[in-house]
Amino acid sequence: MNRWAWLLLAGWPLAGIADDDALSQVMRALAAVPAVEATFREEKTLSMLDAPLVATGVLYYRAPDFLRKRTLSPRLEDYEADGHWLTVETPDAGRRQFDLNGYPQLRPFVEAIRAAQAGDRAALERYYQLELQGTPADWSLRLTPRDADAQRYVAAIVLRGQNGRIVSMETLEPDGDRAFMTITPR
Amino acid sequence: MRRWSIPLLWLLAALGCGWIVLTTPVAADLSLFASRTDPVAELLLEQLRSGPTTRLILLGLAGDAEAERAAVSQRLTERLRASGWFARVANGADALPDAELQTLFAHRYLLSPTVAPERFTVEGLRAGLQQRLAELQSPLAVFQKRWLAGDPTGELLTLLKQWRSGLREPAKRLGVWFAPDGDRALLLVETRASGYDLAAQREAVTAIRAAFAAASAGTGVQLAMSGPGVLATLAADTIHAQAEVLSTLALAAVVLILLRVYRSARTVWLGALPMLAALLAGAAAVDLIFGKMYLITLAFSMTLLGETLDYPTYLFSHRRAADTVADTVRQLWPTLRLCVATTMLGCLAMLDADFPGLSQLGVFTVAGIAAAVATTRWLLPALLPPDWTPPRPTAIGAWADRALQPRPRLALALGGCGALILLALIGKAPALWENDLAALSPVPRELLRLDQELRTALGAPEVGHLIAITAPDAETALRHGETIAAYLDRRQQEGVLAGYDGPMRYLPSAQTQQQRQASLPDAATLTANLNAALEGLPFKPGLFAPFLDAVAAARTAPPLRPEDLRDTLLGTRVNALLFPGERGWTALLPLSGVRDARALAADLPQDESSRAYYLDLRAETNRLVAGFREATLIRLAWGAALIVAVVWLGLRSWRRVAAALLPVGLALVFTVAALLALGERLSLFHLVALLLVLGIGVDYGLFFSRPGADPDSRRRTLHALLVCCGSALTVFGMLSLSALPALRAIGLTVSLGVAASFIAALVAARPLLTKMS
Repeated sequence: MNRWAWLLLAGWPLAGIADDDALSQVMRALAAVPAVEATFREEKTLSMLDAPLVATGVLYYRAPDFLRKRTLSPRLEDYEADGHWLTVETPDAGRRQFDLNGYPQLRPFVEAIRAAQAGDRAALERYYQLELQGTPADWSLRLTPRDADAQRYVAAIVLRGQNGRIVSMETLEPDGDRAFMTITPR
Repeated sequence: MRRWSIPLLWLLAALGCGWIVLTTPVAADLSLFASRTDPVAELLLEQLRSGPTTRLILLGLAGDAEAERAAVSQRLTERLRASGWFARVANGADALPDAELQTLFAHRYLLSPTVAPERFTVEGLRAGLQQRLAELQSPLAVFQKRWLAGDPTGELLTLLKQWRSGLREPAKRLGVWFAPDGDRALLLVETRASGYDLAAQREAVTAIRAAFAAASAGTGVQLAMSGPGVLATLAADTIHAQAEVLSTLALAAVVLILLRVYRSARTVWLGALPMLAALLAGAAAVDLIFGKMYLITLAFSMTLLGETLDYPTYLFSHRRAADTVADTVRQLWPTLRLCVATTMLGCLAMLDADFPGLSQLGVFTVAGIAAAVATTRWLLPALLPPDWTPPRPTAIGAWADRALQPRPRLALALGGCGALILLALIGKAPALWENDLAALSPVPRELLRLDQELRTALGAPEVGHLIAITAPDAETALRHGETIAAYLDRRQQEGVLAGYDGPMRYLPSAQTQQQRQASLPDAATLTANLNAALEGLPFKPGLFAPFLDAVAAARTAPPLRPEDLRDTLLGTRVNALLFPGERGWTALLPLSGVRDARALAADLPQDESSRAYYLDLRAETNRLVAGFREATLIRLAWGAALIVAVVWLGLRSWRRVAAALLPVGLALVFTVAALLALGERLSLFHLVALLLVLGIGVDYGLFFSRPGADPDSRRRTLHALLVCCGSALTVFGMLSLSALPALRAIGLTVSLGVAASFIAALVAARPLLTKMS
């Protein structure tokens, strides 16, 4: 066997490690962020509607597991995930609290962004297959649901970010509907 | 030839009885009661026998990690649903199967209570559309949008909310129900079969075990099960097993006693013949009169026939070499005859048409005792050589004379004590009785505790308050249910109750469905309204064609009837609360958190052709048990009077009557006092056992005060009664060690009673006779 082959054999696991290493680096950068306050703009393109739905509001995050999405326009709507509790507040329905443990189908949606910002790779991998592209300075992480039931509702979620900051989140549904949310720090 | 005619006749009779017994079914029914006196009681008993609460099985999954328990809960749920045994399998994962959602969705305009004319005007539709648009924007839209084009007014949401509100929910972890401390995953299962159909319950339990074995393979999760059906099955099994072990032990002990006392193997098998005859004759009589035998009759009959073991003992102990066997039997016969007559009269207390289980017990005992005494009187002398005597006792020593010495002072003291205790007992009579039907349950206590734990954790409907509607047909029952629902809504707002359920929640009456149909606009109006409502909203044109079609179809659809829902979850929930019976249809409205039952019951809306009854199950059952007991006590009083009369007829002397009967009266008083001192409350089991004590105790009194007895004969009587008492104490003492409340109650009562009867008869019978002579 010639020495090139040896080099190849010795080198091939390195490719995997390199990829893994980039993901770990991104996760470490995300985990280092203690809190986030940002504005968001979400655009939903649905086959039922002939114009996209646009919503804007504010996002709050506090490590490790507090996330609040407060929609200000077109109408007030407040979603707050704290540990396993989900609180929903709307002007007409008031405040309702759900135990996420009782609604396992909601959990992946919450974790897609909350566990990502927390850099909690184990939590992400429980629900999704992860695929990282780019460099730690400018990355894109594709989340594909593992669970067949979740796959009925979500084809994939793509997060884009720079180091420890998530810049956008795109949700792709199996029927072609999608939602694109850009996140700008305040 | 003449010598063998009696055994041959006996054998033929025994075979005949055996044939009757083998060809008659045993009803696997644990219930003692079948009162038909008033509709409330009847409804109540129907509920106790087959109501929805009796069909619930509670499951707890413990052990291993939380995630494993949750996963097993899911797998078990799927398997149980697929098994077809169960009307409902719930573990908290409230995603309805897709087929069920489709059923609800298909009938939304007939089923949804929010369907009303204003819902389909331009304003109503616009409000609905804007609501849907807001939902599309929310993160939860992915779950809802598939229904949107067909349901812009959101009727499915209303139906789902209603579907879930039927049950107060326990806490959830990982999507399924868990006990508050997280140790147990919980499931609630409802069998299709009645809780008292023991055969079906047994199969359901087996199905659960099999499903659990498959679902938990490879994990360390353990299953705990409870519920009326499970308890009944387990109780039957445990009673069977325990009774088998105890009776085998008791039998061995009695055989040993007989062998030791008489030194003759013949006494053992001859001694068993009257008992055997009693069993066969009793069972045959019940089968002939009732056509079937209840399990409970079979279970308790052995107890009541305990007295029959004594008859041959009287014969064996009184054998003297000077007389023939036939002579001895003839000498004993007047006393034996009275013993049998008094026992039979005591059993009259059990003959009550309202309680077939007890009546059977009464018939069983009367027939059995008659057969046993006939066997002793005629078969035993025919089978024994005329001059046969058992090797022992040839003579009974001086100790017998010491024991038999009259002790008038002791007798007086005993009588005085008895009178005082009796007064005290009468003073606190109400506290003596166990009215709670649950206390009659033949179920081991730890199972009851598990049941309570699971029930509390699950928040499962308790056997509590409910409204029952009886109507000639389902439609009338549903309409009346809707009237009552409106009434309950009002009272709920006033805080009189916390909530209610009922069939009309899930399936409105045809009348209501037709009103809803009438509120749906015609196609042209609806299209125009919808187009106006859509003005300025971003929905694509033509999106709501499914909605227009669905409303048009719903306008002419035939109303849904209970039978249309067969094989759906909706249908099984309705069937549990609305079902046909002997007297038309019954609808049940279980209530929760009732604060003021009287106020609620007082103004219950009634209808011309149907009736609504308010049932407080606990209070009603207690009333029923108390009523039954009063009836039994009155019968007992009559029985006692008849016993006195018969004994007087036999003895023709009040002095002798007193000598024969006062000791057993004293013994009963002492027994009851001792039971109470031991912390027991008197239940049906105690009462049945006291009847046996009465039967045996009268025998003791009669034998100790036997007329014309010489000293040797008295010694032999003492010997006979010591053997009887010893055997009874051995058998029933063993029963009293059982963990099962029923067996314990019977064992304790009879051992105490037999001992007290023996002592009282020994001490008091002679002085009562001799004092005045």
